[in-house]
Amino acid sequence: MISFLLIIVASLFFTGVIIRTKSFTSGRKGPGIFQPMKDVIRLFKKGAVYSKTTSFIFQIAPSIYFASIIMAILVIPFGQYKGIISFEGDFVFFAYILGTGKFFSIISALDTGSSFEGMGASREALFSMFAEPAFFILMGSFALLTGHTSFQEIFASLHFGSSISYVLGVLATTVLVMITLIENSRMPFDDPNTHLELTMVHEVMILDNSGFDLGMILYATNLKFAMYGALIANLFMGSAPLYFTIPIFLALQFIFAITIGFLESFTARFRMNHNAQYILALSSVSLLIFLGVLLVLGQFN
Amino acid sequence: MTNVLLIIFTISLLYLGIAHRLLTYIKILVFQGLLLFGIAFIELIKIDALNLAFVLLETIVFKAFFIPLFLNYVMKKNRITRDAEPFLPNFVSLILITIIIIATFILSNAIADSRISKIYFVVAISTLFTGLYIIVTRHKIITHVMGYLVIENGVFILSIAVGNEMPMLVNLGILLDIFASVFLLGIFVNKIGDVLKDVDVEQLKNLKD
Repeated sequence: MISFLLIIVASLFFTGVIIRTKSFTSGRKGPGIFQPMKDVIRLFKKGAVYSKTTSFIFQIAPSIYFASIIMAILVIPFGQYKGIISFEGDFVFFAYILGTGKFFSIISALDTGSSFEGMGASREALFSMFAEPAFFILMGSFALLTGHTSFQEIFASLHFGSSISYVLGVLATTVLVMITLIENSRMPFDDPNTHLELTMVHEVMILDNSGFDLGMILYATNLKFAMYGALIANLFMGSAPLYFTIPIFLALQFIFAITIGFLESFTARFRMNHNAQYILALSSVSLLIFLGVLLVLGQFN
Repeated sequence: MTNVLLIIFTISLLYLGIAHRLLTYIKILVFQGLLLFGIAFIELIKIDALNLAFVLLETIVFKAFFIPLFLNYVMKKNRITRDAEPFLPNFVSLILITIIIIATFILSNAIADSRISKIYFVVAISTLFTGLYIIVTRHKIITHVMGYLVIENGVFILSIAVGNEMPMLVNLGILLDIFASVFLLGIFVNKIGDVLKDVDVEQLKNLKD
């Protein structure tokens, strides 16, 4: 329960902090950190316009996408406190419920019949496909390391002892940050501010959505950021008491948002045809984490 | 601590697989030199001072400074184009290097000899094969030399693993460095650009009986 509330709180300011950081680094003052939320609220007050070529899929897809993310958030634990749903192997559920949401957003993009949206959908599907093994190998190695298979048990019994496990922690954080950037279509992989449909990935998929639907999709992005931020924060919280972990959680979300802001300000976007190999490199790094876990466990000495 | 450095070293191999520019290759070689300095310093601290100083000096001065600088100089002097120009796409390289790492891991598990230090063995052998792979799949002579330098880093890691018992082996590994420098000097002196000059290859094609 507590993780759900905190993720909602973090989602309110997350993209705002990113935008503010980007403004600061480019020498502008920038909008307030709640501006993205105000935009979302403005969109929530509007009705939606649907194209005549679209079917019911286009109308239900944003709701399903939003619901899938809410459901994924439900399984995220908070230190030793369970998420609202928690069972053995819930990280598989987590990945596939996000996959379901993504599937619906992809078919709704195809449903509009626009060639640009089809292209964006194909790219998004490809990138998510390459990011998935990285996530599974990472969570699988943690499951092997701790001997548990649910998020809460994994994070509660994850403790860093030897120097090698610190490296694993740092590598895991890096992989998770990169997965976040891929899943949210952010800077090194996709530019959210681009104006050319040919080079868009995620933005082109939502070109036809308007009003309430668009508001839901935009807010889902904020939630997704906060959700992955919570996953990363869980790596560092362990079983400390609440008055200690809540500030850590919020601070980590802030640091995460600022890091993404800096990344977006100072890195150039990868070339589209090179994206696949950079994303696959994450899987290779996760494999190294897996080998490292074998090393820690003494399966391999 | 050495395990940490060795894991980072392995990640640098993956990066080598997806690097596009020759300058990136040189930067990775510098980074590997620094990592080897760290590994050698931690691992060989027990051998006698003179030998240790020699090994450390060699890693930091030759591997991390002199050879990369000279590579850069040769690249500029011979006007070598900045792209690595692999035969295979980098995507395939990445997969193959990952397979190399996993295969060496499985191989070392299969050997199951308690006398070899396994993490050193895995990193060294996978570095060796990655170097070979880079030599095989890149066009230019200068990338061949870089692949050779990577191989030689692998040999160095393998020799460090037994360095405490046999410091002689480390020195032998260092001799390879000098060998690589001779290669480089050859490229420099003969002014070999991107590949052996087109003219030469064409002349070979005309050979008939």
